[in-house]
Amino acid sequence: MRKYRILIVENDEDELFFMKESFNESGLFDIIGDVKNGNTLFEWLSGKPAEALPDLILSDLNMPGKNGYDILAEIRENEHYAHIPVVITSTSSIKSVMEKCLQMGASDYLVKPESFIDYSSYAKDLYYRCSLKVPD
Amino acid sequence: MFTKWNLLLDSIADGILMLDKDGYITYCNPMVTHITGYEQHQLLNQSFSKLNDEEADSIKTEYVLNMAFKTGRFVSEGWKSQKEHGRFWGQAILAPMFDDAREFQGYSCVLRDNNEKKKEEISLRQSEERYRLMVEGVKDYSIFMLDTEGHIVTWNDGGRYIQGYSAGEITGKHFSVFYTSDDLASKKPEMELRIARESGMYQEEGWRVKKNGSVFWASIVLTALYNEHNALIGFSKVTRDLSERQRNAESLRESEERYRSIVEQVSDYGIFMMDEKGRIVSWNEGAKRIKGYDAQEIIGKYFSIFYQEEDILNGKPAYELTVARAVGKYEEEGWRLRKDGERFWANIVITAIYNTDKNLIGFSKVTRDLTERKKTEQALKESYQSSRQLARELTATNAELSAANQELEQFTSIVSHDLQEPVRTLKSFLQLMNMKLDQGKFQDLKTYLEKSINAANRMKDLIANLLDYSQISKNELVKEKISVTNLIDHALQNLKGSIDASDARITVAIDPAIRDIEADRIQLVQLLQNLLSNALKYTDDKVPQITIRCKAENGYVKFEVADNGIGIEHHDLSKVFDVFRRLHTVKDYPGTGMGLAISKKVVERHQGQIWLESEPGQGTTFYFTIRES
Repeated sequence: MRKYRILIVENDEDELFFMKESFNESGLFDIIGDVKNGNTLFEWLSGKPAEALPDLILSDLNMPGKNGYDILAEIRENEHYAHIPVVITSTSSIKSVMEKCLQMGASDYLVKPESFIDYSSYAKDLYYRCSLKVPD
Repeated sequence: MFTKWNLLLDSIADGILMLDKDGYITYCNPMVTHITGYEQHQLLNQSFSKLNDEEADSIKTEYVLNMAFKTGRFVSEGWKSQKEHGRFWGQAILAPMFDDAREFQGYSCVLRDNNEKKKEEISLRQSEERYRLMVEGVKDYSIFMLDTEGHIVTWNDGGRYIQGYSAGEITGKHFSVFYTSDDLASKKPEMELRIARESGMYQEEGWRVKKNGSVFWASIVLTALYNEHNALIGFSKVTRDLSERQRNAESLRESEERYRSIVEQVSDYGIFMMDEKGRIVSWNEGAKRIKGYDAQEIIGKYFSIFYQEEDILNGKPAYELTVARAVGKYEEEGWRLRKDGERFWANIVITAIYNTDKNLIGFSKVTRDLTERKKTEQALKESYQSSRQLARELTATNAELSAANQELEQFTSIVSHDLQEPVRTLKSFLQLMNMKLDQGKFQDLKTYLEKSINAANRMKDLIANLLDYSQISKNELVKEKISVTNLIDHALQNLKGSIDASDARITVAIDPAIRDIEADRIQLVQLLQNLLSNALKYTDDKVPQITIRCKAENGYVKFEVADNGIGIEHHDLSKVFDVFRRLHTVKDYPGTGMGLAISKKVVERHQGQIWLESEPGQGTTFYFTIRES
């Protein structure tokens, strides 16, 4: 079974902690990095060779600095990163927010679980969705 | 025998005379005396001319006698001499007398008194003459008589006018000269006579020809004339010219009449005429209605009667006429007086009127009462003003509402997200601890507990700030006069702990010219505190250097809070005032992200402005303005 190389954008360190725990435990993902917002994301990506880039970026929506929308807008304009699927994740289940993200080029939108404990099933769901999005 | 003849002669009702060869009276019967008033002896041996009106007119007598001798019978009618009354209209029938040897002996004469008959005849003729003159004098109608065959017998002035012939040249001609060649070819004149003869009259409109060959549109009436024996003695023909010139004259009269009556009946406009001096000569219904005067009481008065005293003293009426005379027209709006002394707002137009010879014959004046219209206009204007005011207020309210609505939407969306975050964190750690306890793993429990407490505190802060924010929006401003120096001292005092802890250097520069401000003290202190604490917080390792400046600008006090902190990226400048917007992570720079949102709210509630300038790594300067008292 293929492990996806994932890069997480999340400003809440506690949330990040739980995400990482669950993702690692699931054995479905290889977390190659985590950043606090869009600003640090692009710093992280900058200068990386193509083989070092993630298969997938999982990004929170509301963050200080460049937020999820900013990331979507900027990544689609960069020829080196445009191919990387970006999945937006947020506690918000407001339909208009989800639609806006998909319209701006998000590969998918996942509502965050009610509790960090539920990240294990979240991880499975994300993996399943990725198998449809990420090229082999 | 002699006596028998004498008896006959004496009793005959006509006068009988016998004249000798030279015309001397040799016999007269008593009737002659009765008729002439002369006794027998006064006549005998007198010349027959004695009975003439003019006694000396022997020439006429000789002529009469000669004629009688030649023709055998001669009737002489005329004025004869009457002894008492001077003259009478008499008839003398003379015949020559011959004896058996056919020798001429003299004349017999029958004398009749035709005086009464003549009087009748004369009066008849006089009356006929009057009609004739009347008919002849008619100019608008051509009236003439035709004989039974259609030849023209009489002619009048109208005929000369309409058809163009004089009486001399047309009398005796056949009336078909007035017909077009087409009509002649179809024997129309004969047909008209026949119809008139048979039905008494023929009437039509059609083309007729004038002497000069031109045609005109004529209305004709042909009437058959019969004498007392019902014998046709001719026709009368009346022709009227209906062509333009004639009709124009008539329609002009009619239209003048029409206009006059229209003008008289108009009641919305006062329309009247004045002579060249400004005296009123006509008056209509509208003038009566507007000004209150009846025609009979106003006609003849000067139109200055409608002007207010000051206008009259200024010579305004005369001036208006002068202008109208000079440029043809004078128009204005102004106050005029009614009969009852009440004023009305009038629109007036005075127009100079000239006759065809271009001489000024007077003025027309049209007056409209605009009082009602002015009132309506004013009312409309007022209602327009007030509705515009209302519309302005509504627009402003609308804008405020939609801004408030937008803010509220953003607010709920952010609040729901941001408030959930600590709750989720708290719940997650509690579940994690529960799990670890079940598994008998206790080593990280204290960390999880601390994180839970942090999350709970964060939530408490968020809620407190939200409350603050909503209070600022909701509560009435308690405005008072505040000295700027005093305000800054107050804020610095509240932040004394943080300032001391960070070892910050605070510089305050207040323009001595500025006045006090009118503001809510608590909110303004909070505003300054927020800006100052941001300046203290967002620093890297440098010692904070903060400068507070105050200047007076266009009735406002401009506050300036400048720091030497980490600065803000240019693309983030527009986000700083959003609710819960944090540009930095909680761990790096703790806070709820409400400070600047609250600050902005405070400034807006004081009708001021807030903005900032920043360079990343060099520092940020916040500005805001509050109105001077």
